[in-house]
Amino acid sequence: MESQSLKNTLSYLHSELLRIETMAGTLSSLERDHYRKLTQFDHDKLMDIAVEEQSAARQLGTIKEMCLSLAQEVKRIQNDTTDSRVEEDTEGV
Amino acid sequence: MFRLINKWIRSAMNETVDKALHRMVKDQYIENLFEMVPVSKKVGPINLMETVMRSAQGTTVPRPLGSPIHFSPWEKILFNPAHLDRFPTPEEVGISSSVTIGHRARKPLTISIPIMIAGMSYGGALSKSVKVALSKAATKMGTATNSGEAGLLEEERESAQLFIGQYNRGGWMNTPDKYHRLDAIEIQLGQGAQGSSPQRSAAKNIGPEYREVFELKEGEDAQIHSRLPGVHTKEDFIQLVRRLREETGVPVGLKIAATHHLEKELDIALQSEVDFVTLDGAEGGTHGGAPILQDDLGLPTLFAITRARDFLARKKAIGNVSLISTGGLVTPGHMLKALALGSDAVYIGTTAVLALIGDQMVKSLPFEAPTGLAIYTGKITDQLDIQRAVMNLVRYLNACVHEMDLVAASLGKTALTDFNKSDLCTVDPFLSVTTGIEYAGVSPEKQGEWTDRIQGLIEQES
Repeated sequence: MESQSLKNTLSYLHSELLRIETMAGTLSSLERDHYRKLTQFDHDKLMDIAVEEQSAARQLGTIKEMCLSLAQEVKRIQNDTTDSRVEEDTEGV
Repeated sequence: MFRLINKWIRSAMNETVDKALHRMVKDQYIENLFEMVPVSKKVGPINLMETVMRSAQGTTVPRPLGSPIHFSPWEKILFNPAHLDRFPTPEEVGISSSVTIGHRARKPLTISIPIMIAGMSYGGALSKSVKVALSKAATKMGTATNSGEAGLLEEERESAQLFIGQYNRGGWMNTPDKYHRLDAIEIQLGQGAQGSSPQRSAAKNIGPEYREVFELKEGEDAQIHSRLPGVHTKEDFIQLVRRLREETGVPVGLKIAATHHLEKELDIALQSEVDFVTLDGAEGGTHGGAPILQDDLGLPTLFAITRARDFLARKKAIGNVSLISTGGLVTPGHMLKALALGSDAVYIGTTAVLALIGDQMVKSLPFEAPTGLAIYTGKITDQLDIQRAVMNLVRYLNACVHEMDLVAASLGKTALTDFNKSDLCTVDPFLSVTTGIEYAGVSPEKQGEWTDRIQGLIEQES
């Protein structure tokens, strides 16, 4: 029962991480687009905001990659859990 | 009235210049003021002034910001743009710039740009305002800043999202209560501008807060030893790395001054299972160090990177051990070339401080040096506007990465981590032979034949 619960939790974490990854990717594109738009104005304050938008786009890109690697790690744990369960079942037979 | 003054000044100037020229023409060369021109050309204006400073002070002349000599021939390397054989990256595609340091650590360090702020200590080098500004700017950019050889400065730790601390030869960050609060630990055994020489900040230059951060007694000097306390054999070092990795889980690395004996040092580092290695080339900066250590000791950053990368590849350690390079990386071109040659990330120190001061240098010029705004013992550190300084550095770092993105797009890349040696060519045949970068004068298909011919010539010569 506990094993099933862990499996469900890992599955939930995996799908949520992939969702965050997609969201970060979308927001990153949006921030890049803001940067392009804001740099069209010859205004110091807007230029500073543009710079911060571009930096935010990069950091969202980092979040996207971190989510992807965490999702892969969760998947690996999921597979290990499944394998060890199969081994336990086989031993039981 | 103005015309009258103007006429008088012009007349006085004319008279003075005439007299000076007349004396220069007539005076014997040995008594002639003009001798300063060939003398300063012979010994160089920097050496001339430093000779005079040594003769006046009788002690080491602590030159700020590192050697003025450019040892690494970055300008002889070019990137290879793509057009048809491989297509450039479309402009709507973002270029990934994140890097993970210490993949093997339990808690690897991921930064959003491959540029970090180098170790420059509070007190020993920089003022508190500058340290806080550096860490705030790093946080805004999603990158890490480094403590330098110092104790733990609370304000710096709090304003830095990612904080690399130096386990240092002064012993000021070497207790668990401090190093457990770091996001990565860099064991500092040397630096490009000083090698592994001892350094000392005199007690007279140490204020109450500096004393508190470094846990010094009143009247006590801040002493950086040539050796790390407690590390006298390579086994001591190996045990230290393993203990810190086990205790903290964060990436633990080694920082050394790049040296011609690099491979031997790296071999011990690999035995200790460090997560990263930081190589500080001979061009590395410092707040103030002996000119002989800056100009005459170490290995140029460029060769340190190529040799270290080659060694890590031979030892199959690429991916397990991150390579961080630093020392004289001034332009985004230098930084990106360092990445292409095998660095996972770079540190910038001198350039970061200059960018941070930026337009605020007008507060010091023309009567004081701009470093007076930034160094701990500076006379006008209180005039630095921290928020302006933060934005100056944020703009600079953003501009650097943006320029790197442009090169990446032109080469058809989608990540700054995708660069490698094949993206470069060099106009220097010897650099090509020693570093393995293809020679620009010969097509890629004929490189092997050409290299054999050059190596044959070198063998004949020797």
